[in-house]
Amino acid sequence: MKRNYGGLYAAPQALWLSLFFAAPLAIIVAYSFMKKGLYGGVEPEASLDAYRALANPTLLLVAFRTLWVSLAATAATILVALPCGYSIARSRNQSLGLFLVIVPFWTNFLVRIYAWIAILGNEGFLNDFLRLAGLVGEPLQFLYNQGAVILVLVYMYLPYAILPLFSTIDKFDFTLLEAARDLGASRLEAIVKVLLPNIRGGLVTAVLFTFIPIFGAYAVPLLVGGKDSYMLGNVIADQVTKTRNWPLASAISMTVTFLTAVAAMLFALRSRRKAVHVEIDAGVEATAATRAAS
Amino acid sequence: MSGEETRAAGEGPGRLRKPLFRRLAIAVPHRLVHLLRRARIVRAGRGRATVERSGAPRKRGSSLSDYVFGAVILFLFAPLMVLFIYSFNASKGGSWTGFSLVWYEKLFLGSDELWRAFGNSLAIALGSALGATALGTLAAVGTQRYAFWYRPYVAAMSFVPMIMPEIVVGVSLLVFFAGVGLKLGMLTVWIAHTTFNIPFVYLLVSARLEESDPSIVEAARDLGATETQTLFKVILPMAVPGIASGFLTAVTLSLEDFVITFFVSGPGSTTLPLYIYSAIRFGVSPVINALSAVMVAGTVLLVYPLRSFLKSFAAR
Amino acid sequence: MKSRLRGAALFAACAIALCIGGCARKSGEAAAQKKLYIFNWTYYTPDSVIEKFKKEYGVELVYDSFASNEEMFAKLKAGGSDYDIVFPSADYVSIMIKEGMLAEIDKSKLMNLKNVDPAVLARAEEYDPGMKYALPYYMGAAGVAVNKTKVKGYEPSWSIFRRKDLAGKMTMLDDMREVMGDALAALGKSVNSVDAGDLAAAGKLVNESWKPNLLKFDAEAFAKGFAAGEFWVAQGYAESIFAEYEEARRSEVDFFIPKEGGPLYIDSMVILKGSKNKELALKFMDFIHRPEIYAEFCDAFGFPATCNVPARPLKKGPQWYKAEDLAPCELKKDLGADLEKYNAIWQEIRVGK
Repeated sequence: MKRNYGGLYAAPQALWLSLFFAAPLAIIVAYSFMKKGLYGGVEPEASLDAYRALANPTLLLVAFRTLWVSLAATAATILVALPCGYSIARSRNQSLGLFLVIVPFWTNFLVRIYAWIAILGNEGFLNDFLRLAGLVGEPLQFLYNQGAVILVLVYMYLPYAILPLFSTIDKFDFTLLEAARDLGASRLEAIVKVLLPNIRGGLVTAVLFTFIPIFGAYAVPLLVGGKDSYMLGNVIADQVTKTRNWPLASAISMTVTFLTAVAAMLFALRSRRKAVHVEIDAGVEATAATRAAS
Repeated sequence: MSGEETRAAGEGPGRLRKPLFRRLAIAVPHRLVHLLRRARIVRAGRGRATVERSGAPRKRGSSLSDYVFGAVILFLFAPLMVLFIYSFNASKGGSWTGFSLVWYEKLFLGSDELWRAFGNSLAIALGSALGATALGTLAAVGTQRYAFWYRPYVAAMSFVPMIMPEIVVGVSLLVFFAGVGLKLGMLTVWIAHTTFNIPFVYLLVSARLEESDPSIVEAARDLGATETQTLFKVILPMAVPGIASGFLTAVTLSLEDFVITFFVSGPGSTTLPLYIYSAIRFGVSPVINALSAVMVAGTVLLVYPLRSFLKSFAAR
Repeated sequence: MKSRLRGAALFAACAIALCIGGCARKSGEAAAQKKLYIFNWTYYTPDSVIEKFKKEYGVELVYDSFASNEEMFAKLKAGGSDYDIVFPSADYVSIMIKEGMLAEIDKSKLMNLKNVDPAVLARAEEYDPGMKYALPYYMGAAGVAVNKTKVKGYEPSWSIFRRKDLAGKMTMLDDMREVMGDALAALGKSVNSVDAGDLAAAGKLVNESWKPNLLKFDAEAFAKGFAAGEFWVAQGYAESIFAEYEEARRSEVDFFIPKEGGPLYIDSMVILKGSKNKELALKFMDFIHRPEIYAEFCDAFGFPATCNVPARPLKKGPQWYKAEDLAPCELKKDLGADLEKYNAIWQEIRVGK
């Protein structure tokens, strides 16, 4: 019988996270149950004001808007990422393909968002191109609407969907597709009925790693969105940086975190546990920069 | 490119200035697709690789997915091309006024504050990545090999930090540091970055260990290796790809972080993202463009030698 | 496998060396020179002025920046108070006085106090009676920038935001006190009004007459968007707008402070209680109000020399608006708990359709 060193190995991390994550978080949870301070912070007085304020109809409106933008952006990301993952998996130069996907993410995300503004603007590259090609006479308004928000969000999180999808597709046995075709399935049918069920783990991871950060997006709606692009991430940030209502900020965060965690777990549980586990490594690489970009 | 939403045309004339460089910028992408194809990134894989893997040659290749991937590469690099071009613009504004290296000159000769921020960022990124890698790797080894009473706690702790909104993490750390009386500065930034990096390293290394063959470790123990010997001679070498990806991921995360850093940084611990955020609002952006171009080039030089990690990470 | 491990070890070793090198360099610097820590708005004191100060006094100067009073306050309140000089706006000066965060200024050490415009000091009485804690740095107001090549026939008034023909081409700041203050001023009320009727009317004005014509509320990139021709009318700060324009194209822009007025701000220099360099901090504050230095600062941003009288004739550069334009504006004050009333209305504006 070997000795159990597990507790010993994990102790430094557990201590560190307890001290620098759990303890601060506990403070914030406590904040959500207190009265707001006049100039930020809280008054040491129990109160449910923050949770009552959650029932605000304007807040619900933002929540629904955030939900549909996140769903649309996630769906678009996955749809685009699937063929990419497939293409890299079947390529002979996989590492170069992956490299090309990751490299753009070493440039500061703000700089990249501003570059998108330069592309999509009325006098930007895209409009110039369209005019040059004679496709439009007047410049098209690409920026400052939900479309622009979704486009740039897709851009920001695409690599994090491609990585996990790629690594599952890479392990997929392509003879199955051939077999399906031989048995009379159309190309689309073969992909939907044979490929997709077999890469479910990768799909789940890709969805989680795009949906979660997009749901908390802050900078993208602020910079490329219009007057109706205010999202939950903005509400939370504004409570801290503008209206000095820390309890409300923490109450919204707690609620969002709780709901996301539950949804993520349910979603992950639906697919086979093992598959998720195998894929989690690729996805984690992905989640990495999501925090920075969100 | 993927779905640009086209909306109703904005009104107004809008001057028609079509500088040459923009036309060039449009032509370059076409050329790139061509090059990509020749480099067999886009179309490769239809031939030999497929035969090896599936045992039967496919009649019609996955041309559609290859084209999508080519387009996505363009999509991902489009903003980088834009700022690369702008970094050579003689003037500050968005309109092209002539080729110039003035921003590179300014970047290398007159940007002390920027380089100080860059130095801070680098020190924090490497320092926090090291810290997180050490802690995360050990914990991954522990939870992977043994069951112990607080294992579920460790597992949960590596999930929740990913969902928490950054600003809340930032504020909570700020309040915490204030509570324990720690002055804000490089130390607090380092602590914060290490904290948000740990879960990523932990998950990456765990995933890697999960796939490794446990019988090798058993064999080592059976042959009389001590726990320390097993750790350093068997387990860690097996986990290297995971550790490396964890480290790189942590460096990336740390270099990018803005929100959390803002709250926990103190006098003199301005990092590059904080600097960029200030500078970009006041028309100093061409220098930032030049820096970005230099950094992309630097990244390529730095990451290219490390591509074997990417590959082993990918190949699993 | 082995070589790979060695590679990783080598990389880690380099990393550690770099870190230690970096730290060593830093501590070496600290030992050599005195350091003044400044916490200021993003890019608000020109580098050339800072360089001159460093040279003259032979000191190091660390300039960290913040983007809003609220963020600055949150950080200082929590204990990031190793800074010596901070540049809060008027409302936050009074808050920081109330919270006991500031050190009193020794006026006898300020040789250049005589240069400061008495009119500004009179306004400053409202938030810092007797000028005990704060020395005014700059007085100004957000205004409206108009792209003259696209927009004709307008008058310098908030009513420009009512123009339906400019719908989708205009922006206002994503800033509650600014926009609400503008609406209050447009209605002829005080920008510090806490009367429920006034606020409801202001909210209605913004929501029904202005917002339908706005493309967005933007406090981050309004200047870039304006310079790129995206927005033809933008409410914002002159210095940000003109920073995006090269010399030749500046004539395309008209910048005005609306005749109805709006919220006025006075950014001040204050010394924090915990400062270890109070002497040096006072020297810096005094240095700023040397006429030639103040003129240099104002020239860098196209400001009128609002706070410093002898600096006015020394100014060489252009100015985007005149000190007199600020006359109808009213100083923005701290509203305490009444801020809640603004919050509710602003949320309707910002979040609603």
